[in-house]
Amino acid sequence: MSSSLRAARLIWFVTWFNVKMLLTSEFFILLTFVSPIIFGTIAFFLWRVGGQTEGQTLLYVALGAGMMGVWSTTLFGCGGAIAWQRWEGTLELLVNAPSRYDHILVGQTFGAVTFGFYGVGATIAWGVLLFGMPLEATFPLVLPLGIAAAIISLGALGMLIATTFVLYRHANALGNLLEYPIWLVTGLLVPLATLPFWVRPISWLLAPTWGMEAIRGSATGSEPPWLAIGMCLLLAVVYYVLARVALVYVLRKARRDATLSLQ
Amino acid sequence: MPRAKPDVEHAIEAIDLVRTYRTHLGVFRRRRLDVEAVRGVSFTVRPGELFGLLGPNGAGKTTTIKMLITLLLPTSGTARVMGHDVVNETTEVRRRIGYVFGGDRGLYDRVSGLDNLRYFAELYGVEPAEQKRRIGALLEMVGLTGREHEKVEGYSRGMRQRLHIARGLLHDPEVIFLDEPSIGLDPIGARELRRTIQSLVEAGKTVLLTTHYMFEADALCDRIAVINGGRIVAHGTGADLKQAVGNRTIVEIETFGVTPDQVARLRDDPDVIAVNTEERDQSEILLVQSEHGLQITQRLLAALGDTRVGKVVAREPTLEDAYVHLIASTGETDGAARAASVA
Repeated sequence: MSSSLRAARLIWFVTWFNVKMLLTSEFFILLTFVSPIIFGTIAFFLWRVGGQTEGQTLLYVALGAGMMGVWSTTLFGCGGAIAWQRWEGTLELLVNAPSRYDHILVGQTFGAVTFGFYGVGATIAWGVLLFGMPLEATFPLVLPLGIAAAIISLGALGMLIATTFVLYRHANALGNLLEYPIWLVTGLLVPLATLPFWVRPISWLLAPTWGMEAIRGSATGSEPPWLAIGMCLLLAVVYYVLARVALVYVLRKARRDATLSLQ
Repeated sequence: MPRAKPDVEHAIEAIDLVRTYRTHLGVFRRRRLDVEAVRGVSFTVRPGELFGLLGPNGAGKTTTIKMLITLLLPTSGTARVMGHDVVNETTEVRRRIGYVFGGDRGLYDRVSGLDNLRYFAELYGVEPAEQKRRIGALLEMVGLTGREHEKVEGYSRGMRQRLHIARGLLHDPEVIFLDEPSIGLDPIGARELRRTIQSLVEAGKTVLLTTHYMFEADALCDRIAVINGGRIVAHGTGADLKQAVGNRTIVEIETFGVTPDQVARLRDDPDVIAVNTEERDQSEILLVQSEHGLQITQRLLAALGDTRVGKVVAREPTLEDAYVHLIASTGETDGAARAASVA
């Protein structure tokens, strides 16, 4: 088997195994299946109180709430999974396997992120059923492309975050800290236009901003989605390269400081 | 069965390995503490050899193994496995080694044993066409056939340990590191494990084994190194090591309620070289080493005063006696890690 085919098979297998592992966690199931619906419900009511009840606005809200759930799943599925592996004593085995660890991380993160996109579908269905949200996309053929671009960029960001979890045993505290601020600065909760101007450069560097733009643009037609899709892919490449470089340093430091087996 | 002869002189080669851990003392006034776990360990293992590394807890056995399997960087010194440097040629080393640590950790508890093996088979690069046959054979070898679909969280400690062993052998490694693999196994399981280790060596594998069970090391190992305080204090065959106490006789005295003062009196006898005590349920066994065998028995019993005495037996020294002598004579009986400097 060629090395690229082997790498593809490994990534696929790790993705499948990671999804299977995540499905055995009641906390993850609750996080993935229920929290986007709760986020969506709160957001629908908030916007309704504000007098925003148009169909396109509701779709905008539903997608944002869904992406909030995706981001939570990314943090838990990428970072939390490594904290869990550390606790189980399997992290040492994964890092020390002959396979490239960045391939293993790609499989783990994409497993979590792909699974997390259930949240987007759940909030849309919730909006249609309970809040009378019309179900129509302006660019229906581009929408899957937008979703795929968002998955790729969020997965790559998750991989970059996961490298810190390999190095620091208490990095899950950082993961928890990242949840709410990212919801805010990437426009998932409120439109970016309502945030101070100095926040914009930060949001441009974050995958959820462009992932959200790509999906909202495809669904609501607020803006053509091509720039956002391009930015998603560009950021994914940047995150991946950064993660690869960081991993070389992180894995060597972990071997030097003997931190992999610490719980 | 003939042993394979790979084209390297040494399957494992450790030269002056040193490993220092850095930790901190205190909360408000933090001070850095450097702890020397391994202090210049050197040894070689020939291809196809079963090499034992013995030592008390904290002696540096696991740290040495972790450096050899590329999990830890040595602070200084070098090591090679099948001719590949453990610092700079990690992938080449990892392809050629398997390792098993004793204990409960290192498995995915919430999925089945089979899922665990399939996952690690992928990570270790086992060819897809080969995986099913290999996993089936290993399950059979470790006695888990029929239980492989059950979740690991329901496995007994012995079953988990056997699954660890199957995982370590998935990619048919040339060199296998077994760090206290018999921990948690019942006597029958431990005997089967010894048979498995023996069959691995017969199949040409090189095995580095650490264990606390001396009879296990004596029965299995071609050569043994005793490590204490981060240094190798003796090495050779089991017979070589026993030579350290070869001119001695061990008198085993069963007592009921012996006091520390009475044991101290035994130690004060000029003909007694060493006394070790083993606690049993309702009695103690005093292991008295001397060069005079049963000739001094009357004196020993007199020193015990009115303590009730059961069986008294004289025997030849075992590897365990030699081990206890070596550890005691190197002065770091607890094997605890050594603080090198505080800053």
